[in-house]
Amino acid sequence: MIKIDNVVKNYANGETEVKALRGVSLNIDRGEFTSIAGPSGSGKTTLLNLIGCIDKLDQGEITIKSETVSSMNKNEKTKFRRKNLGFVFQTYNLIPVLSAYENVAFVLSLLDLSEDEVRERTMTILKEVGLAGMENRKPSKLSGGQQQRVAIARALVKNPEIVLADEPTANLDSGTGEEILKLMREMNEKHGTTFIFSTHDPMVMDYAGRVVMLHDGQIKSDERK
Amino acid sequence: MKFIISLAFKNLTRYKRRTLITAGAIAVGIMMFIMIDSMLAGAEFESVRNLKWYETASVRIYNDGYWENRHQLPLDINVPDAEGITAKLEDAGYTASPRTVFSGDMILNADDFGEDGNIPVTVTAIDPQLDFDIFHFGDTLAAGRFLERGEEAALLGSWLAEDIGAKVGYWITIITRGNGGFYESMDLEVVGIVNCPNPNVNRGLVMMPFDTAGDYLAMDGAATEINIKLSDSADVEAAASDIQKLFNGSGLTALDWKYMAADYLALAEAKRGGTGIILFLIFIIAAVGISNTMLMAIFERIRELGMMRSLGMSDGKIRAAFVVEAAGIGLIGSFIGVILGILVNLFVVNIGFDVGFILRDMDIGYRIQSVMRGVWNVDTIGLAFIAGTVISTIVAFFPTGKALKMDIPACLRHQ
Ligand SMILES: Nc1ncnc2c1ncn2[C@@H]1O[C@H](COP(=O)(O)OP(=O)(O)O)[C@@H](O)[C@H]1O
Ligand SMILES: [Mg+2]
Repeated sequence: MIKIDNVVKNYANGETEVKALRGVSLNIDRGEFTSIAGPSGSGKTTLLNLIGCIDKLDQGEITIKSETVSSMNKNEKTKFRRKNLGFVFQTYNLIPVLSAYENVAFVLSLLDLSEDEVRERTMTILKEVGLAGMENRKPSKLSGGQQQRVAIARALVKNPEIVLADEPTANLDSGTGEEILKLMREMNEKHGTTFIFSTHDPMVMDYAGRVVMLHDGQIKSDERK
Repeated sequence: MKFIISLAFKNLTRYKRRTLITAGAIAVGIMMFIMIDSMLAGAEFESVRNLKWYETASVRIYNDGYWENRHQLPLDINVPDAEGITAKLEDAGYTASPRTVFSGDMILNADDFGEDGNIPVTVTAIDPQLDFDIFHFGDTLAAGRFLERGEEAALLGSWLAEDIGAKVGYWITIITRGNGGFYESMDLEVVGIVNCPNPNVNRGLVMMPFDTAGDYLAMDGAATEINIKLSDSADVEAAASDIQKLFNGSGLTALDWKYMAADYLALAEAKRGGTGIILFLIFIIAAVGISNTMLMAIFERIRELGMMRSLGMSDGKIRAAFVVEAAGIGLIGSFIGVILGILVNLFVVNIGFDVGFILRDMDIGYRIQSVMRGVWNVDTIGLAFIAGTVISTIVAFFPTGKALKMDIPACLRHQ
C-alpha cells in the first residue's frame, strides 16, 4: 500500500549538506506493524515525515494507496493527511486546555460529521484505549502513559489507513512503554490499521511484525517475523 | 468553527496574566482615545461658542469696504444710520445691535495707578440696552456694574485690568482720532470688570457706551458694524445671504461668523489633523502590543500548531483560531477601555481640567479661558470599541502567517 522508491533527502545545514536519506526503497503492506529502527541520526524521523506527507523529498517517489503523495502540493497533502493519516508523537502534543475527550474530538471536528457521530466515535475509541471514565480530564491530570493513550485515540478516531508514530515510547518508562506498544498492536489487529513507528529501543523492536533498520540514511536490514 | 471559537476562548484563560496585560494595554489606549477626543471636541465646541458669544456674533453687517481694511479699524468706512438699520432688521425678525470699534491709546494716570503709563487698546463701543441680547457678557461681571447709555464710563476685561492694575472707580483716558482724523481724548471711569471666557477678548477688552463714543468721535449716528444673533442651529450662510438681500444696493455687506473666523477654523482643522496623528499613535502602540502577545502565544504553542497541521487542519482554520483568540483579547480590552473611558469622561465632562495657568499668558488658539471640559460623543466611543476589536483581529494575521511559514517538522521539533 505504501511504496517508497529510491528516496533521497538532504538538509542544508549552513554551508554543509546533511544527507539524511540516501536512496531508501521500501514497500509496506496494508495492516503491517512496522518498526523503523536505528541509532539516533540515522534518518528515522525524516523517513516518517516523508511518509506522513509533512516534508518534501529531494529525489525519488512515495506512493500511498496508488496516490503519488510526493508530488502533491501543500493543500492536497493537508487534505490527504486529514483523511488518511494519524500521528502519535514522542511528546504526546495534546492541547492542554482541552479535556481528553476534546483532544480526540478535535480531529473529528476537521471532518464533516454529525455531533452524534463525533460523540459516539470519540467515546468508543477512548474506551478502547482504556480511558473510560477519564474523558473529562485535562492532560495535566493524566500520567504520561495515559496522555499517550489519548494521543493514540486521537490518531485512530477517524479510522485512518495509516498511523505514524515517531518514538512513541521514548518519553515513557519501559513498563508503560510496553503497555503502549501492546495497545498499538491490539489496535492494529482490531482495526487493521497500518502502523509505522520509529524507535531506537531494542525492546520495542520485539513487538514489531517487521523491523526496518536504518543506518546513515540507508536501509541496513529489513526483517519480517 | 464552534470548536475553533471554544478553543480560542480556552486559550485566553490559559495565559490569564498575559491576556489581561494585553487587554489592559488596549483598554488604556481606548480610554485615552475617548478622553483626548472628548477634550478636544469640548475645547472646539466651547471655542466656537465663545467666538460667537464674545467676538463675532452670528452675522455681522459692515460697510462694503470695511472687511479688507478691518485691521486699521477705520471709522469712516462705516454703517450709516445704525439705528435705522437695527430697526429694519428687527422688523425682519432679527435681533441686532450696533457697535463701533476703534483703536486708541489708553493713558493711565499716576493718581489712580501709582505711576503714569499708556498702552495701545482697541475700544468696543456697545449699546448697553441691546448688546447683551447678542453677546453674552451678561453673566461675566466680576466687579462693579455694567455700562449705561450716555455715561462716560468703561468696562475692562479682567486680564487687562489685572495687567494694568485697574480697579472699579479708577479713571482712564483714551486718546484716539475721531471720524475725520481729529484728535480726541475721553476720560472714562472704570465702572465694571468682566471676566470673559474668551481669552482673546478678556486679554484686551475695553468697552464704553455706543452713544458716548458716537458723540466724541463724530460718528453722526453711524456704527462700524451691526451684529446679529441667530439660533445655534441656524444655517448662518443662508441667513447672511437673506440679510444681504435686505440691504442690496446700500453699500453694506452681511458676513457670517464662519467667514469672519476663517483663520480660526482653518487652525482648528489643522489641529484636528495633528490630534488625528496622536490618536493614530495610540492605536499603533496597542497594535504592536497585541501583535507581540500573539507572537509569543503562537510560538509557545508551536508544537501544538505542528500537531494540528499534521492532523490535517488547514492553514485557514489555524489562522481563524488565532484570529478569534486575538479578537477575544481585543474585545475584552475594548470593553474595559470603553468602561474606563466613560468613567474618565464623566470627570472630563463635568469637572474638567483647569488650564487657565497656560492660557493666561499663551494663546493656544482655543477660545477657552480656564477649564477645559469634554463633551460626550457616542460615535467616538463606538468607534473606539470597534477599532480596538478590529485592529486586534487584523494584527493577529501577521504572527500567525509567520508561524504558518515554518514547515511542519520544524514546528514539531521546536522546544
Ligand atoms: N532540519 C534539519 N536540518 C539539518 N539537518 C537535519 C534536519 N533534520 C534532521 N537533520 C539531520 O538529518 C539526519 C537524520 O535526522 P533524523 O531523521 O532526525 O534522524 P533520527 O530520527 O533517526 O534521529 C541527522 O544527521 C540530522 O542531524
Ligand atoms: Mg528522530
